[in-house]
Amino acid sequence: MRIEHKRARLVFHIKDLKLEWTIEPRYWRNPLIGVAGLALLPLVIMSKPDYLTLLTTANIYAAVAIPLAWQMAGIGRMNFGPQFFVGIGGFTAALLSIHWGWGPWQTLGIVILLGLGFGLILSPLTTIAKGLYFSLITLILPLIFLEFTYVYTDIFKGETGLSGIAHLVHFGKIRTNYIVSCYLSMGLMLIFLYVVDKILRSRIGLYAAAINDDEDVAETCGLNINGWKVLCFTITSVMIAVTGWFAAHYYGTFAGVTYLQLPFMVKILLIVMIGGRGELYGAIVGAYFVAFLEQALTILGPIHYIVFPLVLLALLFTLPEGLYGIYRRHKYREYYPTMRVRKR
Amino acid sequence: MVDTIQIILVYTFVLGSLYLLISLGFSIVCGVLRVFHLGYGVTFIVAVYAMWMLMKEFHFGLVSAMIGMFIIQTLFTLGIIYFPVVKRYIEQEELLLTSLILISLIVEESANFFYPVTAGVNIPTTILPGAMKIGKASIPIQMLIASAVAVVTTAAFVLFLLKSRRGLVIRAVSQDIESAQLMGANVGRVYALAMVLSAIPPTICMLVIAPIWSIEPSLGLPLMMTAILVAILGGLGNIRGSMMASYIVGFLSSSVAFLFNPRMMGLATLITVFIVLIFRPEGIAKSESLW
Repeated sequence: MRIEHKRARLVFHIKDLKLEWTIEPRYWRNPLIGVAGLALLPLVIMSKPDYLTLLTTANIYAAVAIPLAWQMAGIGRMNFGPQFFVGIGGFTAALLSIHWGWGPWQTLGIVILLGLGFGLILSPLTTIAKGLYFSLITLILPLIFLEFTYVYTDIFKGETGLSGIAHLVHFGKIRTNYIVSCYLSMGLMLIFLYVVDKILRSRIGLYAAAINDDEDVAETCGLNINGWKVLCFTITSVMIAVTGWFAAHYYGTFAGVTYLQLPFMVKILLIVMIGGRGELYGAIVGAYFVAFLEQALTILGPIHYIVFPLVLLALLFTLPEGLYGIYRRHKYREYYPTMRVRKR
Repeated sequence: MVDTIQIILVYTFVLGSLYLLISLGFSIVCGVLRVFHLGYGVTFIVAVYAMWMLMKEFHFGLVSAMIGMFIIQTLFTLGIIYFPVVKRYIEQEELLLTSLILISLIVEESANFFYPVTAGVNIPTTILPGAMKIGKASIPIQMLIASAVAVVTTAAFVLFLLKSRRGLVIRAVSQDIESAQLMGANVGRVYALAMVLSAIPPTICMLVIAPIWSIEPSLGLPLMMTAILVAILGGLGNIRGSMMASYIVGFLSSSVAFLFNPRMMGLATLITVFIVLIFRPEGIAKSESLW
C-alpha cells in the first residue's frame, strides 16, 4: 500500500485500487454525516423517553425555524409571528380530531388547505407593509388569534387548551410510540430542510436573495417581486402550519397559551440567533442546543431559569455568528496533518 | 343611556391616562433612539422588586427606598441596558432585540427566584384607600390619583421637551441625527439621557398602581404589550400621537367592556391596531419625530 499526498487529499494506492480521502472536513459529505448522526441519536438515548420527547420538541422548533429562514429572505422582512400558522395548523387538527374523530392523516389535508388559504389571504401584507410595520403586524396577528381563543373559549378552550387529539402513531408499546414519533418529527424536519435547501440553491433562492437585498433593484431587473413574495409567504406558511399539525397530534393536546404567545416566538428567535443567522443548518444546531441546554441545566435546581438565559446571552455576546459560525469559520482550518499543505 | 356614557367617559379618562403613563417611556425610546425597546417590560419589574428588596432586606423607609429605587433603576438602565447592549448593537437590530429579550428573561426569572408570588410583595404607596363615586361610576381613589399623576407626569415631560435646552437637543436628535450632530449635539449622551428619561414614567406608574395591581414577576410583558400597541397606534415615537392613542385605546376598551363583553377588551384593541397598521402604518401622528 502506498499513500500519496495530493493537495487536500490523501490517496491510498492498494495494488490497483485507488482510494481518496479528503482531509479538510468542509469537503466531506457533511450534510449526510450530520443526518446519519441525527438518525442514530434516538437509538442511543432510547432508554430515556423524556430525552426522546426533548428530541421531538427540538425537531418541531427546527421545523418552524427552517421555513422561516427562507421566508425572511424571500419576502425581505422579519416575521415575528410564525406561531400564527402553528396555531392555524394545531387548532384545525385538534378541532377536527376531537369533534369528528379524524385521524392525523385525514386532518393533514385540511391543515394544508387552511394554511394555503390563510397564507394567500395574508400574503398581500408582504407588499402593503414595509419593514418594521410588517414585523409589527405579524407580532399582533398571533395575539389576535390568542384573544379569539379566549373570547370563544367554548370552542377553542382558551385557558386550558384542547385535549384528546388522536395520536400520531399508536403501537402497543409506549416506547415504540416515542421512538417512531421522534423519527417522524425528524423526517418532517429533514424534508423541510431538503426542500428549503434545494430551493435556496436554485434560481428561486437567487430571486429571494435579490428581493432581500433590494426590492427596487430586483424589480428593475424584471423580477415579478410581488408574485415571488406571495409564493414564498404562502408555501412557508403551509410548512409552518404542518408543523403545528404535527405538534397537536404528537402531544395530543393543543393550547393557544403554549404556542401563540410571545415566549414561543422568542424561543424560535433565540434558536435562529444562537444557531447562526442566515444559516439553514444553524437552525437545527440551535434547536438541538437550546433544547438540550435547557434540559441539562435543570440539574442546577430552580436557579436554572436564570442561568439558561444568562448562558444564551453570553453566547450571543461572544459568538455573533452563532454556533454554526464556529464550524464554518474555524473547522476547516483544523485539518490535522495538513496544516502545511495549505500554506505551500 | 346617559349613565352608560358617563361611566364610559370616566373609564376612558382613567384607563387612557394609565395607558399614557405606561407607554410614554416606550415612545421616547422609539422616537429618539429609533429602536424597538423589547426590554421595556423590565423597567416595571425593576421598579417594584428593587423597592421591595430595599424595604425588606435593607429595612429602608418608604421615601429612602423610593430614592434608592430610582438610583438602582438609573444604574440598571445605563449599566445593563444602554451601554452593554443598546449602544453596542444599535445597528444590528436582530442582535439588539434578542439580547434585550434575554435580559428581560433574566430579570424576570431572578425576581421570580428571589421573590416568587408567594413572597407577598406589596408596596405600601396607597395615598387614599377606598372607592369614589363619580355619577354612576365607582372607581378606586388610588386609580384616580394614578390618572392624575399620569397627566402631571406627561405634562412635565412635554414641558421639559418643549421649553428646556436639553429638550430641544433631544428633539433635534429625534428629527435628524446628522444635522443635530453638525449643530454640536452629543448624540451618545442624548441617547443615554433618553434611556434614563424613558425609565421614569414606568417607575412612577408602578409606584402609584402597585397597591391596586397584582404584583407578580411576569407583570412586565402585558404592560410592555400595552405600551407597544399604544405606541404603534400613535405613530411609533411621537408623544403627541401617543397621547391621543392612549385615550383612544382607553375609550375603546371601556366602551367594549361596558357595551359588549369585557372579555373582548384586548381583542378590540388588537384588531383596531391591526387595521391601523394596514391602512395607516405611520399611525395617528403626522410627524416622525418625538413631538
